[in-house]
Amino acid sequence: MRSASPARRDRERRFAALVTITLAGFALIVLGLLRLQVVEHQRYRQLSEENRIRLEVLRAPRGAIFDRNGELLADSYPSFNIVFRPMPAESTARTPATVRADWVHRVSALVEADSSTIHQLVRAANRSGQTAILRRNAPFAILAGIEEHRAQLPGVEVLVGPLRRYPHGTLAAHLLGYAGQINDRDLETRAAEGYHPGELIGRTGLERSFEGTLRGQDGAEYVVVNAMGKRVSTLTEVPPRPPVAGRSLVLTLDLKVQRALEDAMAGVVRGAAVAIDPRDGGILAMVSRPDYDPNEFSRGLTGARWKALTGDGSNPLLNRAIQGQYPPGSTFKIVTMVAALREGVARPETMFQPCYGSYQFGGRSFGCWKPSGHGSLDLVSALQHSCDVYFYQLGMRLGLPRLEATARALGLGGRTGVDLPQESGGFIPSADWYDARWGNGHWRKGVILNLAIGQGEILVTPIQLALMAGEVAADGRALRPHVVLSVGDGPPATPPHPLQTGIKAEAAVWDPVHQGLEQVVAAGTGTAARVPGLAVAGKTGTAQNPHGKDHALFVCYAPAAQPTIAMAIVIENIGHGGTFAAPVAAQTLRQLFLADSLQKRVAPAVRPDTTGGVHGD
Amino acid sequence: MATRLRLPELDWPMALAAGALLGIGLASVYSATTVPGMHEGLWAKQFLWLVLALGAAYIAASFHYRAHDALAYPLYGISLLLLVLVLAIGTSALGAKRWLDLGPLHFQPSEIALIATVFVLARRFSHPQLDLTRIRHWFPPLLLVLIPFALVAKEPDLGTSLAFPVILIAMYFWAGMPVGNLLLGLSPAGTLVLAFLTNPRGVSFWAALGVVLAGLIVLLKPRRLMLVAAVLLNVGVGMMMPVVKDHLHDYQLRRIETFLNPDQDPQGAGYQIIQSRIAIGSGGVLGKGWLKGTQKALSFLPMRHTDFIFAVVGEEGGLIGALTVVLLYGVIILRGYRLSAVARNGFASLMAVGLVSALFYHVTVNVLMTIGWAPVTGLPLPLLSYGGTALIVNCVQLGLLQNVAMRRQEH
Repeated sequence: MRSASPARRDRERRFAALVTITLAGFALIVLGLLRLQVVEHQRYRQLSEENRIRLEVLRAPRGAIFDRNGELLADSYPSFNIVFRPMPAESTARTPATVRADWVHRVSALVEADSSTIHQLVRAANRSGQTAILRRNAPFAILAGIEEHRAQLPGVEVLVGPLRRYPHGTLAAHLLGYAGQINDRDLETRAAEGYHPGELIGRTGLERSFEGTLRGQDGAEYVVVNAMGKRVSTLTEVPPRPPVAGRSLVLTLDLKVQRALEDAMAGVVRGAAVAIDPRDGGILAMVSRPDYDPNEFSRGLTGARWKALTGDGSNPLLNRAIQGQYPPGSTFKIVTMVAALREGVARPETMFQPCYGSYQFGGRSFGCWKPSGHGSLDLVSALQHSCDVYFYQLGMRLGLPRLEATARALGLGGRTGVDLPQESGGFIPSADWYDARWGNGHWRKGVILNLAIGQGEILVTPIQLALMAGEVAADGRALRPHVVLSVGDGPPATPPHPLQTGIKAEAAVWDPVHQGLEQVVAAGTGTAARVPGLAVAGKTGTAQNPHGKDHALFVCYAPAAQPTIAMAIVIENIGHGGTFAAPVAAQTLRQLFLADSLQKRVAPAVRPDTTGGVHGD
Repeated sequence: MATRLRLPELDWPMALAAGALLGIGLASVYSATTVPGMHEGLWAKQFLWLVLALGAAYIAASFHYRAHDALAYPLYGISLLLLVLVLAIGTSALGAKRWLDLGPLHFQPSEIALIATVFVLARRFSHPQLDLTRIRHWFPPLLLVLIPFALVAKEPDLGTSLAFPVILIAMYFWAGMPVGNLLLGLSPAGTLVLAFLTNPRGVSFWAALGVVLAGLIVLLKPRRLMLVAAVLLNVGVGMMMPVVKDHLHDYQLRRIETFLNPDQDPQGAGYQIIQSRIAIGSGGVLGKGWLKGTQKALSFLPMRHTDFIFAVVGEEGGLIGALTVVLLYGVIILRGYRLSAVARNGFASLMAVGLVSALFYHVTVNVLMTIGWAPVTGLPLPLLSYGGTALIVNCVQLGLLQNVAMRRQEH
């Protein structure tokens, strides 16, 4: 077949084409070599012999974070780092000099650091060719000392780099999170995003969830330096790339609310509190105890300090407001009541068997928190006095599926979707879950009794409780908690679409709930949350748990008639909610409403003192 | 080489050029790794690799290439398996997974896969029933290349992965595909790149696409089926791109851009380019002399003994040294293509074209990279760069070419 001569000619033509392509490629190479080695030879020789080229990174400042009124919560400021930069040109001559004992000794004395640490840093830098930071955020005295002795300390330089600053220290630390210097592992795994050694990266909180927004883009320029490492000029051949600053965030957070809540939570050892705007789901404040100062991370933590922060049993880095999972205790009775009203299982005036301090079911006795009993109560008073026996009977009539559905509709049992990382979902058991755990139908129907009063397997996070309070305050309108109001100078972002559907029910459902919650504070278990001149609606909770004393809980919203704030407070292992958590709410609300600040600004139309008379004792 | 009778049948210019390049390579690696630092003394290791590589070349030249023909698919299968293994358990360096650690062995399977792919393509294209004027016959080779290409690109190793389409195109061409069909077949790939780099919703994009397509059609006068397929494919790609682009996340777009243009990262690749240009430029015509390179900045260039070895040649050997090296490569490549033209066996001829084209691609892209005219993609310079796998694979390639040379008269 191939013996025919046209085929042979075709082959010769194709061979000629391959040769042509080869020669063209090589001609390009020769042109390039001629240009570099003949035309531009002088310039390159000069660059190689007399001067040195170095890349200077122009650090992009990280975006700032503001509260909703423009109060600064986090920013970056220039700090002076003392670095060791291995000089390529001196690799052979200088490398031995920089690891000599007296050089190391002098440098470590000047930067006030351990000499073995300096020795290691410098050796690593010489090996890798990467700049090493010897002292971060150096004070002026050290800078002056370095500048004075620069000539005798080859390789040592002062570099300006942005440092993260949180002007309010521990305030809202868990929500803001912290940014620290990127580590080797992230450098490797996030190489595609262009991270460089020494760059800041968000580790927790907003700093982490909005890393892409806050982080700018580092620029770079090539500079020509002389033998002493001093800058002579900028290399014109490669135009400098200016850094692009990160965009700033404006939060829904209100510094005044945050401060008030922080103050009220000041004495709490372990616990969390969240305040949310029931009109749009914006987070007004978020507190978690114990706390930490994110500035420590910017300055660089010592190993011992890091261990203290993470190894500590109370785990200060944990954001309990979104990560802590607690039994809701009697705060869950709100869910049970809403479910009962919406499903028509009870009416506000419905009475069941009177409470004599306990309730018999399935051969077991279920106690009320008040051993002497509450006597006969209607639904609203049962909520007011948090009567367990009443809610056992309510739970029985409701059944698990309907109770579960209402709990989920109010935002429990799943992540709220708040724009913060590492949120926990809490847990609402379902019939399927019990079936899976104990076998089909092999579980006591009595579990519903415990669930109805917020005990049993239910777990909630403080932010879920705040969301629940907010949705009740908003008559069942679905909310999506969120922290970021807007990015950069852009317009406020529309509140994110809620994850769950909320509850559509008429006023007949909500009015008794509001009434009962106001009664709780006015003359029930939550009187410690009373604020003169302000109608507060709330519910106490005292959650038994296997870790010691009961957790104290309190959820509330105010002003009751037209709520502008909903809160949830959880204090671990301390005792009754009415005794320990309710006063925190009271102190916060007092500071906010009596100072008339939140009032004026976010709810000009509301008159807080009108409701007191309506639902009085 | 074993018997005196066979000696004259080798392609001697090619063998001598390869020997000279290996010598220059060892000398350059020696020069690059005598400077104190992380890579000090690596040249000794390279010498050991060289001995092994020459042995491998001898073996590759000795077995009749019929054996390679018969073993093409098993070899291809094994190399694909290795590529999958790299993605699963490979070791990463500089953000890419390219290496496989199997006990004492530490190697880059992508280089081995390249040879195996040449074997299967040569086998496929030398099939007597193959008719490249029929579209149906284009797809099996395309599929054979797409699999290793995708696996290597995923590592990610853009430089090496592009060698696969290069050999495919070269072998389509050599197997007799009409040039017009080849160009039309390649046009969707061009459209893809164009759509990515420009705004695929813009008028100018569609205008450019229209003009190029119309030009190709008028010039080449393809058959109707071919014409319809080409137009549909190009328009399809052009219409898909805005949708694809919209659905990519920011970080994905950034990743693709870095993938296409690693040079964007000034602290990594850009720095190396600058230092490499200074090294070559400062070498001038005569060079600074062996071991006398003063552009000591290169001692902080992590890749001076591997991907940027040509910078050492250019600095110490000057224009004369650099041109000598280029000339030696030219000898190998042109003799290699000549070999394809004269070899009577279809498989042998196609194999030679594939191997030589891979070599040509590696050499040009690497050298253009060191002078700053091609993106930094992590491609070694064959026969010169430090690195065991590459050296052995390159020597095996040359051994295979000699294998063809010794048996060029056979059918």
